[in-house]
Amino acid sequence: MALTRRQLLGLVGSVPLTVVYGRRAWTQTAGRVVVVGGGFGGATCAKYLRRADATLDVTLVEPYHQFVTCPFSNAVLVGLRDLASVTHGYDALRQRYGVRVVHATATALDPTARRVTLDNGSTLAYDRLVLAPGIELQWGAIESYDAAASEVFPHAWLAGPQTLLLRYQLEAMEDGGLVVISAPDNPYRCPPGPYERASLIAHYLKTHKPRSKLLLLDAKDTFTKQELFRTAWQRLYPGLLEWVPGSQSGRVVRVNASAGTVSTAFEEYKPAVANIIPPQRAAAIARAAGLDDGRGWCRVQARTFESTVHAGIHLIGDAIIASPMPKSAFSANTQAKVCAAALVALLRGAQVPEPVLMNTCYSLVAPDYGISIAGVYRVVDDNITAVAGSEGVSPLDAPDEIRSLEAAYARSWYSNITADVFA
Amino acid sequence: MKSSTPRDVSWLSRRTLLRRLGTTSVLVALWPASAWTTPEAVQQAIRQRIGDRTPQPDGMTLRLPPIAETGNAVPLTVAVDSAMTPDDHVLRIHVFVEGNPEPVAATYHLGVRAGKAEISTQIRLARSQTVLALAEMHDGAVRSATADIVVTLGACVEEIWSN
Amino acid sequence: MTKPRVRVPRTARKGEVMEIKTLISHPMETGYRRDVQGRLMPRHIIHTFTCTYNGEQVFRADWHPAVAANPYLAFYTVATESGSLRFEWIDDTGTVYTTEAEITVV
Repeated sequence: MALTRRQLLGLVGSVPLTVVYGRRAWTQTAGRVVVVGGGFGGATCAKYLRRADATLDVTLVEPYHQFVTCPFSNAVLVGLRDLASVTHGYDALRQRYGVRVVHATATALDPTARRVTLDNGSTLAYDRLVLAPGIELQWGAIESYDAAASEVFPHAWLAGPQTLLLRYQLEAMEDGGLVVISAPDNPYRCPPGPYERASLIAHYLKTHKPRSKLLLLDAKDTFTKQELFRTAWQRLYPGLLEWVPGSQSGRVVRVNASAGTVSTAFEEYKPAVANIIPPQRAAAIARAAGLDDGRGWCRVQARTFESTVHAGIHLIGDAIIASPMPKSAFSANTQAKVCAAALVALLRGAQVPEPVLMNTCYSLVAPDYGISIAGVYRVVDDNITAVAGSEGVSPLDAPDEIRSLEAAYARSWYSNITADVFA
Repeated sequence: MKSSTPRDVSWLSRRTLLRRLGTTSVLVALWPASAWTTPEAVQQAIRQRIGDRTPQPDGMTLRLPPIAETGNAVPLTVAVDSAMTPDDHVLRIHVFVEGNPEPVAATYHLGVRAGKAEISTQIRLARSQTVLALAEMHDGAVRSATADIVVTLGACVEEIWSN
Repeated sequence: MTKPRVRVPRTARKGEVMEIKTLISHPMETGYRRDVQGRLMPRHIIHTFTCTYNGEQVFRADWHPAVAANPYLAFYTVATESGSLRFEWIDDTGTVYTTEAEITVV
């Protein structure tokens, strides 16, 4: 006799995630879920909702027809990969999982009527809404750094055309030029990102344009995996890469795109290439209807990722504050699974499963030199809390073979997670 | 900002109180809740410096970003429209921070040798508030400028990630 | 403690109004923070900054705890004659931090 689903679940343990079989649940679940944002958070959530319960009506709203990942876009920047290798589509979501993918932008919410308005004129009704729209850049937070200025000084903090723009600029730069990277204050998408980018650009310069210099201007005085990065920089890029902390006036306060200058309080620079990573906040739709309390990022209940402001709306990924989880693709993906499981339970009137969350951030200091930081989280007293002893960083004194292995793990993680989301 | 009758700086405390009632204040770990300054303390700090003179809200600008993620190092620029000649110059500029434990942030002493009455610096703000600058002119006049700022909690309290 | 930094033009025309930038590393401990054991950390700030031009004080700032750590300050002064500008920061412990810059005024 074939196993019932319940027996099968009992065999595999009480994993609060999805069921492998896409069969009809023994309890029919009516439910319309709209997911806004087709990145690591939204696409994972849409897929896992359908995997858990194929009776759910799941619509994914995503403006772009393809998704270019920020993870490994730094490798594209320096010619280690091409853009196609970090670009993914929504065919599997549609065809394999039955997610309805609508290519439009969500422009307004009605939390009471439970409707989302799209820029193509239509509205979508929902029983539950998941917002995973990511970030938007705060134009003007750095004086005169706006969309127009970003065509001169790319941010490349949304992957795609900006990634290619910065890459072209680096390739066109003459040997001996100055490259400036501006890293913002916390919180921002991908805490180690600017430092991986600085590392890989330094590697590119050392290899191809060794008389050049890279100045990393930081609003902060400390950053994630700091000792690991700085030790590696001293060894690999001495004299080429210089980090200026906030306390030494490293914070970029102003740019002048037409004059080609980047200014801190104390100094003005005229770099050949400047990558300005400005302050950020949750994308506009996550701040609609007061979801962010006017503070720029959204807060949620830890077990379900439901908004603390409006019932029926859940938020995951970079748009939320989920401390101590950082804003990362891994976090968005894990939050999406917990959110999906919670939604299925809520729609059934069943108990929400106990969440387990995790994150690993891999960074490449050089193509064959990887470092990482990881953590596991549970929900304790309604707060996301790191599990004691679960947190770790790569050892400071690991041999080259280990660095090389970690770089391989990083590449392998990327293949796995993109398959998890888009395949 | 309304200017007021002489001997009455309650325009500031009224506005301060209105602001307090309307603002979602967020505490930054830097400042404990018990230590907020009071409107009375701000008034007294102002009176100590300008006596019963009435500030005029012209001829002076105060620039702050409208929102700061953390209040730790907020850039501020204050400028007074003055030729800085012997006949027209700024003696002192005071900066008041009514939402902090102490009402005064700094006093800058200028004079004709300054050439230009403009100061740029960074201040610490405990929470959302209205920052006030007063400029004492050589002839006894006082000018004022204010700027509102929202300080959100820089909530990347991701201890291991930001370290 | 790193030496304070100042940016002063090396040369200027007589009567020119020049911008001076200053930066010093200092915790500017407010006196309101508590350490991990909950004890109040004592106030330790720079309370006075002065700029002296060939012996004459041309600028002074009185600082309170609301001045941010690692204080940055930019102000202006008139280039009157060649000589040296002396910058002093005095903190609560009485420590005086100084640096100087030479200027040629034509």
